[in-house]
Amino acid sequence: MLEGHGVGLNFAVGTVWRVFRHETLPEWVKSHTTGTDAADEATALRAAISSVASDLDRLAAGADQTSAEIFEALKILLEDEELFGQAQENLLEGWSAAGAFGMAVNTFCELLSGESTLEERVADLQDLSRRVQAKLAGISLTLDLPATGEIILVAEDFSPADTAQFTSAVVGVITIGGGPTSHTSIICRAKGIAAVVAATAASDLQNGQQVLVDPVGDRVVVGGNANQATRAIEFKAGNSEPVITVRANVGNLTDAAAAARTSAQGVGLFRTELLYLNEKLQPSVQRQTTAYAEIFAASPAGPVVVRTIDVASDKPVAFLPLTHETTLAPESLGYRVLQEHREFIQSQLESIETARRQTGREVWVMAPMISSAAEAKDFCDLARSIGDFKVGIMVETPSIASEINRLEGIVDFVSIGTNDLSQYLFSVDRLNPAHGKLLSPWQPKLISTIAQIAKDALAGAIAVGVCGEAASDPLFAIVLAGLGVTSVSASPSQVDSVRDALASVDIETAKMLAARALAANSPESAKAQVLAALED
Amino acid sequence: MTYNESVTVHDSMGLHARPAGQIVKLVRESGLEVQIAKQDGQVASGLSALRMMAMKVRSGDTIEVRVETDDTSAAKSLVAQIQEFLKG
Repeated sequence: MLEGHGVGLNFAVGTVWRVFRHETLPEWVKSHTTGTDAADEATALRAAISSVASDLDRLAAGADQTSAEIFEALKILLEDEELFGQAQENLLEGWSAAGAFGMAVNTFCELLSGESTLEERVADLQDLSRRVQAKLAGISLTLDLPATGEIILVAEDFSPADTAQFTSAVVGVITIGGGPTSHTSIICRAKGIAAVVAATAASDLQNGQQVLVDPVGDRVVVGGNANQATRAIEFKAGNSEPVITVRANVGNLTDAAAAARTSAQGVGLFRTELLYLNEKLQPSVQRQTTAYAEIFAASPAGPVVVRTIDVASDKPVAFLPLTHETTLAPESLGYRVLQEHREFIQSQLESIETARRQTGREVWVMAPMISSAAEAKDFCDLARSIGDFKVGIMVETPSIASEINRLEGIVDFVSIGTNDLSQYLFSVDRLNPAHGKLLSPWQPKLISTIAQIAKDALAGAIAVGVCGEAASDPLFAIVLAGLGVTSVSASPSQVDSVRDALASVDIETAKMLAARALAANSPESAKAQVLAALED
Repeated sequence: MTYNESVTVHDSMGLHARPAGQIVKLVRESGLEVQIAKQDGQVASGLSALRMMAMKVRSGDTIEVRVETDDTSAAKSLVAQIQEFLKG
């Protein structure tokens, strides 16, 4: 059995088809000494580049809109004039066309390195480099996959040019590298192909072996069959009400309307910054009030929990600039927004209060990225002086997570943001796919931290919700209920599944499952223990 | 003469592959000579997406667009489109 990260809910059984690509290209050599020969090599290089460019055109013609845009972007990189200029300099030093181009690509890859947003482009450039070199050597890099049969493709990872060549015989995909957000994952999820990515041990798989690709079980079973596939659990809502309240996460009017069509009991997280990512100037109180009132009115019945603006490097707001003074990724403005831009937060709270009165809705407000009880008190005092709200804070930093007992009498509620809390607990960048496993909500340290927060909150008569991605996972939502969380807030598309799951158990069962998860010593075993206990 | 105008990058990923590619297409179609300069002194041709990306322009940074032309209105509309590409 090989472990990896499962993509999608379908499993597949088929025959291993390994894709090798790297060994076959010839070594780079110095092939000439004269300028005339260099000119011949330049002509050969231009021909190879335009041949790869027409391959990309052909792929784009047969692809959907998104993939076609990817191929067009690749072509712009391939035909970059400075890339060719760099290759020409290498040609003049005597290198053959393949070496000259390969080295030019390496030069640019070095220049692009170190920037997480450009990492995937470095991989794209190297893929283009291999294609050009293969053309020059007369080697075909097409996958040449069979059109019939049931094959499981195995490779380090797949580029957009590769996935465009998948035939209907491809029933499953296993990659040694990649992660939950890699191109392979996105395409396989969209096409409903069973996939397990980041399966490091898959390099030992042999052509012709029969394997089971089991995404729900996050594994590949050599010699496995359909009977061994982990079933996606379907929860039957046996009770009329879920064990804890299920609300929806919204960021704009469309989300609020979508949430109102679900069984959500109110909004558990209204991310106000999403309204202002494209605004250059601070919005007036009047404009804010109109926007908030529209969203309040459209939201599902129940309280609407509004988060004041949360600014970070992955969601910058032009009128509240970041200073790039930390190496945290993503950098967050956090509580500084209350110190440096207090007048904006005041204008937000005033607008929320006016919108509350206009719509007659029950409104709660909370601040993001609070690190201490003193910061919490500052925000809560300000909010209570402006409007008639229940007031609370997000719990996203380890420091406040261990200080919940000091919040008694200061906050009415706390809301746990599991995405950021994981990132700061484990000191990993949540935008980097390589850290996928540490960011699993099933990590024992995250589960025990949530348990402690819930316990301390209960002792201080503070309501505790969870609004991070983890709350959108139906199985994990049951565990959260068992840990003592009193409400969860999920994306509108997940609200009904989460509610069904929470209506399929009683609180005793949820507590028993949470105890199993707490006792586990790895994320895999926590999930497996809970699944096993639920089956009994 | 050279028309200069500053543009602030709002795209959360900075001047990454997508806007760089859009700028190259635009500059190619315009037939104008365009340079993109970063505040640290680096300059890239508007025809080289790779050189623009290699400057590692981040969200919040200001870049200068330099257009070689006497037609100020053509230059202005080109810069306005570049600003649009960098809105994110």
